[in-house]
Amino acid sequence: MSWGYTINRARDIDMDRNDMTISKLILEKIPSLQGCIACGACVATCSTGALTKYSLRKVHTLVRRGEYSGLLDELNKCMLCGKCQLVCPRGINTRAVISLIKRELGDHR
Amino acid sequence: MNFYYDHFIIPFIIGVAILFSIVLYKYVRWITRLPKRDKLLIRKNIFTRKTLSAIQEVILESLLHRKIFRVNPLLGYMHMSLAFGWFLLIIVGSFEAAVHLKGEFLPPHAHVFYKFFAPKIIHTESGTTWEFIMDFLLLFVLIGVALAWGKRAYSRAMGMKKSTKHTRADRIALSALWLIFPARLLAESFTSGVRGGSSFLTGSIGNFMVDLLGWNTMVAIAPYTWWLYSTVLAIFFIFMPFSRYMHIFTEIPLIFLRKYGLKSSDNKQKSFDHFQIEACSRCGICIDPCQLQSAAGINNVQSTYFLRDRRYNKLTENVTNNCLMCGRCQVKCPVGIDLNTLRLNSRHSFVSTSKADADNRYSYLNGVDLSTGSGRVGYFAGCMTSLSPKILNAMDKIFAAAKEDIWYADKNGGICCGRPLKLSGEIEAAQKMIDLNTALFEKHKITTLVTSCPICLKVFKEDYRLNGVEILHHSEYISRLIKEGRIEVSKSDLSYTYHDPCELGRGSGVYEQPRDVISAIGNLVEMEHNRESALCCGSSLANLEIRDDQQLKIASQLGEEFKQCNADSMITSCPLCKKSISRVANGKVEDICEIVANSLK
Repeated sequence: MSWGYTINRARDIDMDRNDMTISKLILEKIPSLQGCIACGACVATCSTGALTKYSLRKVHTLVRRGEYSGLLDELNKCMLCGKCQLVCPRGINTRAVISLIKRELGDHR
Repeated sequence: MNFYYDHFIIPFIIGVAILFSIVLYKYVRWITRLPKRDKLLIRKNIFTRKTLSAIQEVILESLLHRKIFRVNPLLGYMHMSLAFGWFLLIIVGSFEAAVHLKGEFLPPHAHVFYKFFAPKIIHTESGTTWEFIMDFLLLFVLIGVALAWGKRAYSRAMGMKKSTKHTRADRIALSALWLIFPARLLAESFTSGVRGGSSFLTGSIGNFMVDLLGWNTMVAIAPYTWWLYSTVLAIFFIFMPFSRYMHIFTEIPLIFLRKYGLKSSDNKQKSFDHFQIEACSRCGICIDPCQLQSAAGINNVQSTYFLRDRRYNKLTENVTNNCLMCGRCQVKCPVGIDLNTLRLNSRHSFVSTSKADADNRYSYLNGVDLSTGSGRVGYFAGCMTSLSPKILNAMDKIFAAAKEDIWYADKNGGICCGRPLKLSGEIEAAQKMIDLNTALFEKHKITTLVTSCPICLKVFKEDYRLNGVEILHHSEYISRLIKEGRIEVSKSDLSYTYHDPCELGRGSGVYEQPRDVISAIGNLVEMEHNRESALCCGSSLANLEIRDDQQLKIASQLGEEFKQCNADSMITSCPLCKKSISRVANGKVEDICEIVANSLK
């Protein structure tokens, strides 16, 4: 029987080895991200999240940690509808965050 | 044969030669690079009435500047006297020269420096009349120049709070332009002072100067005044193609091409765009309506600067993306440049998603169908509406009252309409949403599509190919239900004010139906800015740059107008506008369907 819960595999996260360039850059460009309380409201309302396993909170956490692999593919699932921005209690321009990370990870020219 | 030569004409001749070779080079290049379809359009339409109506528009706009008169009469007069006045000086001047120097070879500069080359004829009787007309026209233009000087000092007098910051080339050309007519006045006055003749303006000034300086000094100075006149003309002509003054010529082919049906495209930068971009005179009329400027203090992204940066290949992603695309500047643009489309195709140029990428990215959407119901009338609430349950409930009540059988496209979630992606320049990705939703609509065989979100409405109308499906915003739909008697509402004495959402009003041209509905329920009080000039709520999905506090400041402008008009409640018809206005409003903010649902009989 599946209850929809799984256990994350144990991982070794070494912040000293991670490349923090993009992480620092997005904080510089969108300082309001520092106010993120990881409440997950963005994920709860997400149109994409309702259809597939996509979580902005997770992506954001990983970017801030400097772990970028596979994130572009994740972010590319976003339809940019903007619901997350409306529900964000900290008033973060989430669409700008998504666009910026995508751009920095190589989606834009 | 007389070649009307004197050394001072050399700068003028060089200036004219440079000007026309550059302008010609640009036009030939742009026209030959037009895609085949555009060339076909020109060939098809050139010998039709469209050409005549283009000529009419050229006269009304390029010469008389009718649209600027609508912005402010004084500003309109300034532009008209410079453009139309100069035009008349050239035309009447050529006739004057042709009449009096008849039978002789007339090089083009002969009429420009006519007074220098033909002083004797001025004394004849018909010469006096011509001189009067020419002096009058010169005065007409000089008033325009004086107004332009005045505008530099105090632009508010002409209805402009802010005017454009100019580039260096613009400043040089501008200074030269401002000197051209005073220099002409000086040269003609000196010559008539020395040789006699001329009319009320140049003649009188000439005589006065003779009294003041003495005849001998006048004779010594006079040739240099012509050198000055010729030189400032040359400076203006040489800088013209590189500055804002390129618009003088470019607006004319633009008007013709536009009449022939050429358009800029959302997802491709075309050769036609050059005509639009260089037709911008940077008059700065787009700056005042921009709320990013008036509320959020952002001063480098307005259409005039966007077009400038794009023209000189200095466009940054920030400037391109920092725009609400509310369209307030576009309705005011006197040249009628398709500003939002140019902005969109610039955004697209920064993004590199291909169609294959889009298929790959959104493969999880294939086959998604969460719709319910079986009616022929489809209801697409839209993502934002799903965050406003009041709107959803009100719509359900209205559908039930009208006994409409509804197919709900996205009651349980679904695929976005695609407009947000499109506004971000990701047009290939948006196309994927468009294709998927279109397939969904076709599968359920709907004949009418009602949406509560103006953002969705716009993309449905413009980018979806829904053959035989009528697309309505819920305000249009409700207005029709009331007119057809399918629902009945009771009228109260509450007063409402109505906010036109950008995408519904300026974007889709729906102004009257929401007002009809409100008038059937209560009393409508208009805000200061309404219809075409309605304010934006600031939360526009088109802006990917501004912060939350800046959005709030923009919304506050609306909150302020709401307060001033003293209405019991503010009505809007966009879930996004409703959310953002609610944050700043002093009173109730409701969607139009909510008040309808509450007043159903």
